[in-house]
Amino acid sequence: MTISVSFLATMVSIALAVTLIAPIVLLLLWIKDARGGQLW
Amino acid sequence: MNNVNSAILSPDLGWLILALFSVLWIWLGWFWGRKVTDLDGYMLAGRRVGLALGTATAMATWVTSNTTMAAPQLALQLGIWGMLGYSLGSVGLLLFAPLARRIRSLMPNGYTSGDFIRLRYGNTAWRLFLIISLFYGIGWLISLGMAGGILIHALTGIDYQLGMSVILFICVAYTLLGGLRAVIGTDFIQTIVILVGVAILAWLAITEVGFDKMHASVLEERPELLNLLMPAAIMFLFNNLLFGVGEIFHSNVWWSRAFAFREGVGFKAYFTAGIFWLPIPIVAGFVALAAPALGLNVPAADMVGPMVAAKLLGMGGAILVFIVVFSALASSLDSLLAATSDLVLQDIYRGHIRPNADREELRKAARWVVLALGIITWLLCMPRLTTLASLLHFTGAFVASTIWPIVAGLYLKRANAAGASLAMFLGTAIGLWAYFSIGFYVAALVSAAVSMLVVVLTTWLWPAQYNWASLNETKETN
Repeated sequence: MTISVSFLATMVSIALAVTLIAPIVLLLLWIKDARGGQLW
Repeated sequence: MNNVNSAILSPDLGWLILALFSVLWIWLGWFWGRKVTDLDGYMLAGRRVGLALGTATAMATWVTSNTTMAAPQLALQLGIWGMLGYSLGSVGLLLFAPLARRIRSLMPNGYTSGDFIRLRYGNTAWRLFLIISLFYGIGWLISLGMAGGILIHALTGIDYQLGMSVILFICVAYTLLGGLRAVIGTDFIQTIVILVGVAILAWLAITEVGFDKMHASVLEERPELLNLLMPAAIMFLFNNLLFGVGEIFHSNVWWSRAFAFREGVGFKAYFTAGIFWLPIPIVAGFVALAAPALGLNVPAADMVGPMVAAKLLGMGGAILVFIVVFSALASSLDSLLAATSDLVLQDIYRGHIRPNADREELRKAARWVVLALGIITWLLCMPRLTTLASLLHFTGAFVASTIWPIVAGLYLKRANAAGASLAMFLGTAIGLWAYFSIGFYVAALVSAAVSMLVVVLTTWLWPAQYNWASLNETKETN
């Protein structure tokens, strides 16, 4: 049962999108915590 | 990997990068640690860590050098399931999210996972758990120290002993100076570096090679890598899942963070970290599938990631991989160093040697424990024991035996001490039997199954009536 090109492309594209969003979300959370004095 | 000629960077450039990062991490360790004056501040970052730092530290700790180097290796060896199987390591983080919330509410003054087992199940289970936990913790520390030396050598040609000593020195230095605050603070930066680095490499593989060419080349040269019914890979998937859950559920690395996070942060931080960790092995591993299309002759499977990066981006790619791997190594090594030191300090030094030690004595001893653990790890890493990879697989039987005693201990009043001890003992013993007589890929599976059976049976046959309030030791008695 061999996977197709579109399966490979969809899987990697979704994974890459989440990986690209992650640092943005982390930085936004950092700004929010820092403004609220809740970093640590 | 003794061949210096296979290095993709020059030793001089390697030393320059190491020196720059050494200065940065150690300065940050000093900066964040300079205001730490009490034991909670040093061991648990003051117990007020917010969501941003909490999420990043959970992610960074779980992204080890293995994730960044072994994910491409597994993709090259086990194909699609290698990447997907590795990414299921995130299940451990996701499942630990509710546990972290429960731990924080039941034990607002707790310090270690050992504290929980001692208070919940008594001394016999506690000592058995400590043997398992310290064996695993020190084994993982040594494997990370060795991985540091081996990877630095492979990427830059710097001598194994020198590279290993430098990375250990850096991590010990900033952990010593800043305690968990330094570890969590540097983890945030390291997470961003790792995420951006692996995303750049994957993006380059897509734009430079393309899915069509990559798929066609793999189909021609290694068609089994695209096969969804590859049996060895499916076995790997389940064992890796249970091993990961066992590692996270029992290890003080994750418990110390549950204690360190601000109230209400534990669940969100671990859950978000699990979601964001899930795609990393796919993104990091996928680049290996570009190797056939790029015409690369890979001499050792674990070098496929750096080789593809160097081919796609030249010197810049090689530097990027080195920085990503170095960040991944440091983020796990420092966490493990801090958490294992806490376990030694709280459960061995205070629990067994100096039960009347006050908080000031413990605060001073904490730094000595970090230093001693660093030196022991360094000494054990020096001979470069090649059998340690198998030792780590071997620990699957140990850690998986703790999953059910911990889950039942946190949620079921009726779970009892004898059942927990028996579950850890029999789970480990039969898991080890399976390891030797069947194979490494079933050790964690068998251990977890036996442990579950024992916990279920003993809870049903001899139910206890545990009082949850007993878990909340006050600071004075703690």
